[in-house]
Formats: sequence, structure tokens, C-alpha cells
Amino acid sequence: MSEAMGMLLAAEPDLPTIDDFLPRGILFQGTPFEINRIILIRIVATVLLLVVLGITAKRAKLIPGRWQGVVEMGIDFVRDSVVYQIMGEVRGKRYLPMISTLFFTIFVFNLCGIIPGMNMAATATVVMPLVFAVWVLIQYWITAVREKGLWGYIRDECFPKGVPWPVYILLAPIQLCELVLIRPASLTIRLFANMVSGHLLVATTLAFAQYWVIESANKLAGIPVGMLWFLFGLVLTLFEAFVAFLQAYVFAILSTVYISMSYPED
Amino acid sequence: MVTLAETDGIALFIPKTYDIVWSLIILVIVAVFFYKFFMPKFNAIFDERAAKIEGNIAKAEAAKKDADEAKRKYEAQLSTARVEASKIRDDARAEASHIIADARSRAESDAAQITANAQRSIESQQQQAMVSLKGEVGALATALAGKILGAKLESDDVQSSMIDKMIDELDTSDKK
Repeated sequence: MSEAMGMLLAAEPDLPTIDDFLPRGILFQGTPFEINRIILIRIVATVLLLVVLGITAKRAKLIPGRWQGVVEMGIDFVRDSVVYQIMGEVRGKRYLPMISTLFFTIFVFNLCGIIPGMNMAATATVVMPLVFAVWVLIQYWITAVREKGLWGYIRDECFPKGVPWPVYILLAPIQLCELVLIRPASLTIRLFANMVSGHLLVATTLAFAQYWVIESANKLAGIPVGMLWFLFGLVLTLFEAFVAFLQAYVFAILSTVYISMSYPED
Repeated sequence: MVTLAETDGIALFIPKTYDIVWSLIILVIVAVFFYKFFMPKFNAIFDERAAKIEGNIAKAEAAKKDADEAKRKYEAQLSTARVEASKIRDDARAEASHIIADARSRAESDAAQITANAQRSIESQQQQAMVSLKGEVGALATALAGKILGAKLESDDVQSSMIDKMIDELDTSDKK
């Protein structure tokens, strides 16, 4: 197999590796402020987010223009379809800024994965999703302590009513683990893994397209095959745009659900 | 796949210090931006818009109420005016018939007066004429009879009684 490929291929296609997610430092190497490619993308994305949304908010008018309409659609979406739908207006109002921050930031950071030149989601290191997830963790614990008291929350979650007591032996540790570990871990890994796999998929298809069209010795077979890979890459890029939105939406909606579960049922 | 083996995949999940630092810095910046500027700004816009729409609806309702009020007042005035007009018309009609009746009765009484006066003057003139005629007719008849009869009527007594009888007859015929 490798011999056959070796004969056919002039060089190996430049496939993405997990090293893409662990780039070398560019600035301040060795300090806690080391900046590598992904950090740089993250900083640029943040600046873009702040400038674009900042200018939009600064120029916001009573009668919205097209762009303001788009931004307002995003705000309305987070407010009506995420927060108010899950926890209602009375409870939800207080968490609107938080969930909006999460949604907009994650969406823009995810989109960096398909922006030419960046080609890497700003959420594609484990810490960025983790930081968001920890924020959510802290928030739903604070909410729980405020609404139910610390013990009330742990009792409701780990020792639910109507369960025979021996089950608690099994249930309580699992539930506690869920509250402190599984929720933030699932938020983190879901987002991070989606961004990693998205990058690997798109980069792989485009690497093959590049390889077959340009570097392959056999142009007759290379160009059609390469075009097919390119088409595949195009479709996957569009799919990644969808995933960027979807993951931001999922993160926002799960965060809201977790916070909402800290309230007593009524 | 030689390339994938170069780095252990688990390395992806081990947080780097600089990554934590930058992620936190960025989270704080973004959160402050959304909490302090972006959301308040848009909430203000949304509230203002809602207030404006509500204000316009209220204004439109007030305007409609005013218009309804004005219409109602106008219609009330119109119906009052109609009633008044018909009353005035009725009054005028009554007055007119009154005036006509007055005028007629006055004219009738005037006419009766005039007729009566005429009657009276005719009667008095007739009376006078009769009186003077009586005198003249007597004398005339006597003279005429004397001339015609002359000799035949010697006695004056007969003569005078004849005359008296004649006048009496004339009187009675006159009175009829």
C-alpha cells in the first residue's frame, strides 16, 4: 500500500495534525503571557468582536438598519429562544448578559475556524471552553446557594425525594460528581472536540485537494479527484459554519438549563 | 500516520498556563463589554422603542377618542338644531295662521261695519226721501185731483177724507 502510494505520490499531502492545536509561541515565550498562533487568533477575534459590536451598539438607533437588525436578531434569539423559553422572563432577565456573552463570544470564536488566514477556531484549545464552563459552574452554584441554600441544593440534587434510601449510596456520589465535574467537563469537551474535529476535517479535505490538484504527478487523475476533495472541503466549511452556530447555541442553552435547575421547582 | 504519533493526544487536554491567562483575560474583557456596555445599550434601545410604540398607540387612541367625542358632540348639536328648526317652522306656521285668521276676522268685521253703515245711510236717505215725497205727493195729488175732479167733488170734507185715506194707504205700503 505504502509502496504503491509512494510510487504514485510525489510527496505526502500536508495533513493536519494535533500539533496544529499546540503551536509554538510567537511572543513572550516561557512567560505566562506567551502568545502562540491560537492565542493570537483569539485576541484578534476578541478585538473584532468588541469593535464590531461596540460600534453597532454605539450607533444603535431606534429604527434599526440592516446590520443592527442582524445583531438585534442575535440578541432576540438568545433572549427569547434560549433564556426566556427555559427559565421565563422573571428569572431569566438577570442572566441575559451572561448568556449573551457566552453565545456571541463562542459563536465568533468558533467562526474563526473557517475564516481564511485564521483557519483555527479561537475555542480550539481546551482552556477557552473550560473557562466558559467554569464560569457557568460558578454561576449555577451561586444561584443555587442564593435560591435554595447550599444544603438545600445538594439535598435536592443528590437525595431526591421518592427514592428508596439504599439507592442514595449509588445516586448521591454520581449526582455530586455531575454537579461539580461532569457538567463543566461535558460543556468543555463538547465544544473543544467539535472545534478540533472541525478543523481536522476541513484541513484534511483541503490538504488532499491541494495535493491532488497541484502536487500529484498524475494530473489526469489528480485534477478530478482533487476537485472532488475541494468540493468536499467546501461543503464541510459550510457545515463548520453551521456547527459554529450550533455549538454556541448548545453551550448557551445548556448553561441556561444548569442555572435554571438551581432554582426550586414550582 | 506518523504525524499524529508525534504528540500524544492527551496533551491537547492539559491546560497551559499562558492559555489559562489569556483565556481569563479575554473572558473578563468580553464579559465586561457585554455587561457594562452592549446589553445595557441595546436594552435601552429596546425599552425606548417599546415606549415609543406604546406612546404612539396611546396617542392614536387619544386622537380617536377625541374624534369620537367631537363626532358625538357634532351629531348632538345637529339633532338639537334639527329639532329647533322644526319647532321654529311649526311656530312660524302657527303664527302665520294666527295672523291670517286675525286679518280675516278684522276684515269681516270691517266689512260688516261698512255694510251696516251703508245700510243705515241708505235707510235714512230713504226715510228723508219718503218724508219729502209724502209732502209733495200729497200736495201734488190734491192739486191734481182737484183739477181733475174740480166740480165733481164739492164737499171739502169728502175731499180731505179721500186725501187722508190715500196717504194712509201710501204709508202702509211704505212700511211694508
